[in-house]
Amino acid sequence: MKREDWLPILMGLVIGLAIGLYYSWVINPVEFVETSPASMRDDFKADYLALIASAYAYSGDLPRAEARIAIFQEPNPAITFSQLAQKRLAMGRPQSETRAIALMAAALGDRPTPMASVSSQTKVVSPSPIKTTPTLTRTPPPPPTRTPSPTPGAPFELLDQEKVCDPDLYAPLIQVVVIDAAGRAVPGVEILVVWDTGQDHFFTGLKPELGLGYGDFAMTEGVIYTVQVVKSESPITGLTAEDCFGDGDELFPGSWLLTFQQPELP
Amino acid sequence: MSSTTFRLIAGLIIGLIVGLIYGWVLRPVEYVDTAPDTLREDYRADYVLMVAEAYAGDGDLDLAQIRLAALGPQPPVDIVVEAIDYAVKQNFSRPDLETLNRLAIQLRSIPPSPEIGGP
Repeated sequence: MKREDWLPILMGLVIGLAIGLYYSWVINPVEFVETSPASMRDDFKADYLALIASAYAYSGDLPRAEARIAIFQEPNPAITFSQLAQKRLAMGRPQSETRAIALMAAALGDRPTPMASVSSQTKVVSPSPIKTTPTLTRTPPPPPTRTPSPTPGAPFELLDQEKVCDPDLYAPLIQVVVIDAAGRAVPGVEILVVWDTGQDHFFTGLKPELGLGYGDFAMTEGVIYTVQVVKSESPITGLTAEDCFGDGDELFPGSWLLTFQQPELP
Repeated sequence: MSSTTFRLIAGLIIGLIVGLIYGWVLRPVEYVDTAPDTLREDYRADYVLMVAEAYAGDGDLDLAQIRLAALGPQPPVDIVVEAIDYAVKQNFSRPDLETLNRLAIQLRSIPPSPEIGGP
């Protein structure tokens, strides 16, 4: 064929390509009406994760929660949930939800990568970009796993109060460790912090890398704090960032480590 | 038909096919920021089950309704009934069905909101 003979073919190709792309991208694009939770917007994703935690707090079914979380392919779900708990706490979300997220973070922090430990009982469908026949996500009956929680009715009591002089801490902290009667760390316990101009609260288990029963609060120098485990009757008063001496005799504000334990039931 | 017209039409058809394959298969429009109301049926049923489980734990019916509202404009009870239908078809476990059913019962017990502008 001569060079001129190719010209109409090329012109047709270009026009056809343009029409095809316009049709497939603008007029009739692929519709993702059957999406996976993983494709959701960040705020919806956060709500979904919070819902997974709330469901877990009720059922105590960790394999099922892990299967649900695995859809999102989070590299470190324990940290994701810790951060989510802190965000939701700051947003003033219901306490039941925040506590559930803290429990979820603690439960995940106590285990290896959840993606590797998805239950073989739970069949989670892989995300599919094209409309397909819906695939079953089987929900097996809950196995007898329990959400870690303190023994009902027994208030926590102060076991130990220790001044901590650690220059590596980012701020003077009130560090709290909560353990049950058997000495096991208890996540999801609410701690109330009160000072003369305000109050705040935090939960244990939000930093699972430091222990499931651990929680902390950054103090402001010169302010005196009272700390109380919620539902406990004995507040710890007069906590302030006391001076500590570093290696070169330089002064820095110290922290407090409070250990609470649930007494054994008679 | 002249050979020029024939070539133009042939090129057009080939270009159209290539464009459609590229736009629909090779590089389709990506929806990355979707909402829960577009979830696939199985995920949707699992979402409702999670709402029911969360409700069973915290007893907060308002929160359950807010969570269900993310799935679309239908009444929350209808969303739960749809999920129950799916769960029955897919042989969900009995405790799961009971959890869903309890939420449906609670949602049905809510009195309908009074109409504005009535006599």
